[in-house]
Amino acid sequence: MAAVNFDKVVKSFGAFTAVHGLDLAIDEGEFVSLLGPSGCGKTTTLRMLAGLEFPTSGEISIGDRVVNDLAPGERDIAMVFQSYALYPHMTVAQNIAYPLKKRGVPKSERGAMVQKTAELLQLTELLSRKPRQLSGGQQQRVALGRALVRDPKVFLLDEPLSNLDAKLRGYMRVELVELHRRLGRTMVYVTHDQLEAMTMSDRIAVMEGGRLQQFAPPTEVYRAPANRFVAGFIGTPAMNLIDGEIRQSGGTWQFHAPGLTLDCPPLLDSARPGPACLGIRPEGVVFGSGPIEGVVQVVEQTGHENIVVARIGADMRLTGRVGAERVWQAGETVRCGIDIDRAHIFAAGAAGERLNRPGLRPVEAPAVIKAAR
Amino acid sequence: MIRRVAFNLFAWGIVLAVAFPLFWMLVTSVKPQFELFRRPPTFLPETWTLEHYIRLIQDTPFLTYFKNSIILSTATTLVVVAISTLGAYSLVRFKYRGRESLAFLVLFTYLLPSVVLIIPLYLMLVSMGLSNTIFSLVIAYTTFALPYALWLLRSFMAGIPEDLESAALVDGASRMGAFVDVILPQLLPGIISTALFTFILSWNEYLYALVLVNSDSARPLTTGVMNMLVSSFNIEWSLLMAASVMMSVPLIIVFAFLQSYLTRGFGAGGVKG
Amino acid sequence: MQASQTVLERRYAALGLLLIAPTVLVFCAVIVYPLVSAIYLSLFSIFTPTLQGEWVGLDNYRTLLAKDEFWSSLVNNLIWTVGTLTLQILLGVGMALVLHQNIWFRSLARSLILFPYFISTVVAVLVWKWLFNDLYGILNHLMLAVGMIDMPVDYLGTMPNAMISVILVGAWKFFPFVVIAVLARLQTIPDALYEAARIDGAGPIARFFDVTLPQLRDVLVVIIMLRAIWDFKEFDMIYLLTGGGPITSTQTLPLLVYKEAFALNQMGMAAAYAVVMMLIMLVFMIVYIRRTRQEADT
Repeated sequence: MAAVNFDKVVKSFGAFTAVHGLDLAIDEGEFVSLLGPSGCGKTTTLRMLAGLEFPTSGEISIGDRVVNDLAPGERDIAMVFQSYALYPHMTVAQNIAYPLKKRGVPKSERGAMVQKTAELLQLTELLSRKPRQLSGGQQQRVALGRALVRDPKVFLLDEPLSNLDAKLRGYMRVELVELHRRLGRTMVYVTHDQLEAMTMSDRIAVMEGGRLQQFAPPTEVYRAPANRFVAGFIGTPAMNLIDGEIRQSGGTWQFHAPGLTLDCPPLLDSARPGPACLGIRPEGVVFGSGPIEGVVQVVEQTGHENIVVARIGADMRLTGRVGAERVWQAGETVRCGIDIDRAHIFAAGAAGERLNRPGLRPVEAPAVIKAAR
Repeated sequence: MIRRVAFNLFAWGIVLAVAFPLFWMLVTSVKPQFELFRRPPTFLPETWTLEHYIRLIQDTPFLTYFKNSIILSTATTLVVVAISTLGAYSLVRFKYRGRESLAFLVLFTYLLPSVVLIIPLYLMLVSMGLSNTIFSLVIAYTTFALPYALWLLRSFMAGIPEDLESAALVDGASRMGAFVDVILPQLLPGIISTALFTFILSWNEYLYALVLVNSDSARPLTTGVMNMLVSSFNIEWSLLMAASVMMSVPLIIVFAFLQSYLTRGFGAGGVKG
Repeated sequence: MQASQTVLERRYAALGLLLIAPTVLVFCAVIVYPLVSAIYLSLFSIFTPTLQGEWVGLDNYRTLLAKDEFWSSLVNNLIWTVGTLTLQILLGVGMALVLHQNIWFRSLARSLILFPYFISTVVAVLVWKWLFNDLYGILNHLMLAVGMIDMPVDYLGTMPNAMISVILVGAWKFFPFVVIAVLARLQTIPDALYEAARIDGAGPIARFFDVTLPQLRDVLVVIIMLRAIWDFKEFDMIYLLTGGGPITSTQTLPLLVYKEAFALNQMGMAAAYAVVMMLIMLVFMIVYIRRTRQEADT
């Protein structure tokens, strides 16, 4: 049975609909990220799960209980807020003990539980301080402590790392993954940062415009994006998206764009000739040889590799990820090609469905992801 | 350097000019009667005396007025702050139909002139047999103090992060539990500031007291002291100035100790609206 | 929409209504009901001591619009409002600019400036009446001493002195409000703006007009509207200083309402005056409320 289940959940604020008929089933013990740009409905979804917003229609359940009519405190959840929401007038110890106090844990037991949590998060020294005397990272740990002190069914985390500096954020990512492994609890994590989602989650729910775009493990979201939005949203530098059309001649499909004709990767049976979009990740672009001629515009050196942007024809650009051995100069003419086994074909439109069969050939994961794992 | 000194002198010149009437009030109140009518007037009293203060307390109903004012202002403040704290919580953090129009009505009444309400209020309180009581003034004072306090507390309430309440709810508190545990402690400076302003407003009110009360037993300071001016055969300015000083003493106390709360209240309600 | 509300949502809404209930009850009892009955009363002719009323319809309104006293009070009201408001704004902005500088004992200076605003109008009036006293008042004495006048001036008993005095005392009492409001805003103007202006070669005067004033514009509009409303309905100050006199030369609409109701004992007529006065003020109030709502929306 799913630990958390959204069944056709709709949320409207007056005329504006923030979440359109969301269906989402999260497994017991899973770490799931809700990922999307701001305003995509991810925070609303989380707040509905917490009982802080109310669905306009549909059903939300935690475990085997439908929780629509339950108060947040009755849902057996804990939540970490983006702002941390520490109670300013209480000490760290009082903050962490508050959920226990509200659930009628006897005072005699609270102390030991707070102590244990504090040790886990290295907060022991800070227990008698007030939140405003703590650094951002410390406040964040207190917020975490307030959630961890109980043993709730589900942990909800609303962009908990977004107020930390980059270094601390990287550190806390690892800490959270470790924590999840140790506790084995279901965690729902809202973020707009794809790196966080990719590195921490068992599965990512990509959202846009109040709709679920794809719900799959990180590698699948990366390698087989369900539609054009996911393809463009996930990955840095972003996937090259080239508008054109697909034609069928003989038994083979071809993709045509101004100055570019390619054989398509294997398409789904539902594919029909017409306008379409070709997507290719920068690592699927080959520089140095190939049928396409371009002019190097920008070269970004990151040390272990180069990101090269080349202009093809009048108004098409191709971004490639190439090794650092060869140095490219802006203005240089370059021949490039597209590794068709790594290419994706999407139907036309901003959220065009994927038309090719998922590329099952193992593809090397991008360097960033490897590093953080 | 010279420009700086000149500017400082200029600035303090204006400040002292603005404060002069208050200085003169203080000086007059400690001058003996004969020195008052000296020409040219003495700037600082040659003889200092507290005789007017003693006379004020012994020979006039001043203390009764003072006691009435204290009771009246305290009662008004307690009632208004209690009602408006709950009301502001409701207006800011709950959703129900008519909430917006209610907030609009509060702002509207905040600007409403007293003279429009005074006639019906007078008729109402007379027919209820409440005229000439402190209680009737408490009722009348809520007409201006409640919208004012609500407006002030509403902006204080809006300044408390919503996440705090959400966190308390998730941690297992009920709405009222979260209100008591988390919101009230955060709102406390706002409540104090609102209470001070309400107290000052009630302390200084004149028109309702003039219309609704005309017996010394229920009269507050404003109309009481004014009555001393009108009813005495020859005006004893020193006595009146002593009364004025005494009347301002609670305000000075409030002012000196709680200035930061006052400026905060100003920022929240007075100007930002 | 309504049908799909969750139990929790309905429970919260009910609690919200419960919390606002005392406010609504008190509002209805002491504000809404009196307001409605003020309008209702204005259609009667009522003799105050007996409270016996007789339906006269719109007669009160017809009478008052034909009365010179109404129009002259309205004119007085406008003179008083515009006069004292102008002085309050000029003095207030000027004083705020001065107090924004780093002068000696700045916080003491601020407290002294604020004081007139917090004392009771009764105290302010008593003190000023003493200052204005024709025989022993310090004001007459000082002005005689420096030769500005050769006869003691009657500040409150003659025109136009009475109106000028009332306007001046009003400005003295209420300008601190402007000072605090402007001062609070001044403190939020980023220094970078002044530095940029200085780099662009702006002198102190140019900096005031090009940086300070535009930054103050919004808060000034709000202050002017608020103070206009409050000054327009001011009763205590004028009533206590002159009682509307000499004769009716400083009588404003609030004083007229009071006189009609409690001196001439014409409750119905007084209510009619009050309603008309409220209608005039409604213009300011709606502008102000609209603006506040706009601000809340953005």
